[in-house]
Amino acid sequence: MRHAAAAGAIFKRDLLLFASYRARLFTTFFTMAVSLTLFYYVSRLVTSKQVGSPDEYYAFVVVGLIIFGVLTSTLSTPVATLRAELQAGTFERMVLSPFGPVRAIASLLLFPLALALVVGVASLLYAAIVFGLDLRWETVPLAVPAAALGALAFAPFGLVMTALVVLFKQTNAGATLVITGVTLLAGVYFPVALLPDWIEWASQVQPFTPAVDLLRNLLVGTDLPDPAWVALLKLFGFTALMLPVSLACLRAAVARSRRQGTIIES
Amino acid sequence: MDAAVEPIDAAPEGTAALELRGVVKSWGDQHVLREVDLALDPSTVVAIAGRNGAGKTTLLRVASGLILPERGAVRLDGLDPERDRTEFQSRLGYLSAGNSGLYARLKAEHHLELATKLALMPRRERRPAIERALQAFELEQLCGRRVDRLSMGQRQRLRLALSFVHQPSVVLLDEPSTSLDQDGRALVQQALNDLKARGGCAIVCVPTGGEPLPVVDRVLELSEGRLL
Repeated sequence: MRHAAAAGAIFKRDLLLFASYRARLFTTFFTMAVSLTLFYYVSRLVTSKQVGSPDEYYAFVVVGLIIFGVLTSTLSTPVATLRAELQAGTFERMVLSPFGPVRAIASLLLFPLALALVVGVASLLYAAIVFGLDLRWETVPLAVPAAALGALAFAPFGLVMTALVVLFKQTNAGATLVITGVTLLAGVYFPVALLPDWIEWASQVQPFTPAVDLLRNLLVGTDLPDPAWVALLKLFGFTALMLPVSLACLRAAVARSRRQGTIIES
Repeated sequence: MDAAVEPIDAAPEGTAALELRGVVKSWGDQHVLREVDLALDPSTVVAIAGRNGAGKTTLLRVASGLILPERGAVRLDGLDPERDRTEFQSRLGYLSAGNSGLYARLKAEHHLELATKLALMPRRERRPAIERALQAFELEQLCGRRVDRLSMGQRQRLRLALSFVHQPSVVLLDEPSTSLDQDGRALVQQALNDLKARGGCAIVCVPTGGEPLPVVDRVLELSEGRLL
């Protein structure tokens, strides 16, 4: 319970800091609206066997954009926050707290994920109200636990990125590389079936593709390439395997930095 | 008064609140701490003086468990900073040098709330602890103010409040008088007196030539990596 309170305190701190910049909320939603509007008009130009009608492509890409937002928040925001903490000297208090640096760093993922989910819901509503996106209302509630599972499956990438920040201080390039790779391989903007055979395997060995497939099915009724349990099994399996590994990486990075004396920068 | 600080070998096993035993730390080829031994009894405040770059901050960082020594051991009430990390940190209060470690856009009260939760304090103890810390450092009128609207001295008082809010038994303060006026220094003096009264101990780093607080029992000089 006390650990939950400590994680909640980090969430609250991040929320207060976010809210202290009044323009941030506006720019977050404005960027989302512009992006959805832009893709609506692009979708009017798209008709193909793989993606169907313009409306079907729009539904496809809206869900892709939401997942992409979650991915970016998991990978980029905690890295940037941790960098700022290291430079401001505030990370020192995390290291020297009974809650500890590993739990504190893992808690950095909470607010960005929650924000990404809120923006995701707002995106669906905007696309539905303004552009008539046809939501599959009977399965929409199931998207909530599916999104939570997807977020858990993405968390190991965020944790590894923060471990790299602890070790090397700069990992923006790494986060950008992963995000770019996922954009290409996970079927965010186009179906992975369009990829050449020699690279298509890469879309099956990470959690992003099953997460977008599952959420597309639950939110807008896009057909799944395999039965739903296959996507669920992939997400569960990836989480069960990679979460302990990524936490071990983070623990090792913190321990090494303490030994080297580089755990803080100020 | 001098008996409060003894070479570690002379201290009976398990009586010192904070012990450093044969601590060695280098930065590259620069040997900052060479076999440093120190044992602090309960109700003791020791000042460590030294020139700039003598290694005072490194000594406090090692003593706090923030960084680990290459050789040697640190014990707080017999606890190891790695093996018993949670318990070790819950008994420790630490103030770094300078004015860093605050969120410019957060209010003072939010800092203290965060600190009590990171300290894993029980819910019922958090609010009284915050109020005690606000009172101890005369921050009651400032608790609703954002850090970027506080003066440097007020920020230092907040940093001190954060170091004491969870009622640690051992406190390590790196140049606590930075930016403080006479009233602020008196508050530090009072906080250390209260700490001693409840059996706690503290190390306070001061620059060579700096005037140690009257509460200090003994001043040690850190020179060439050794405590004299």
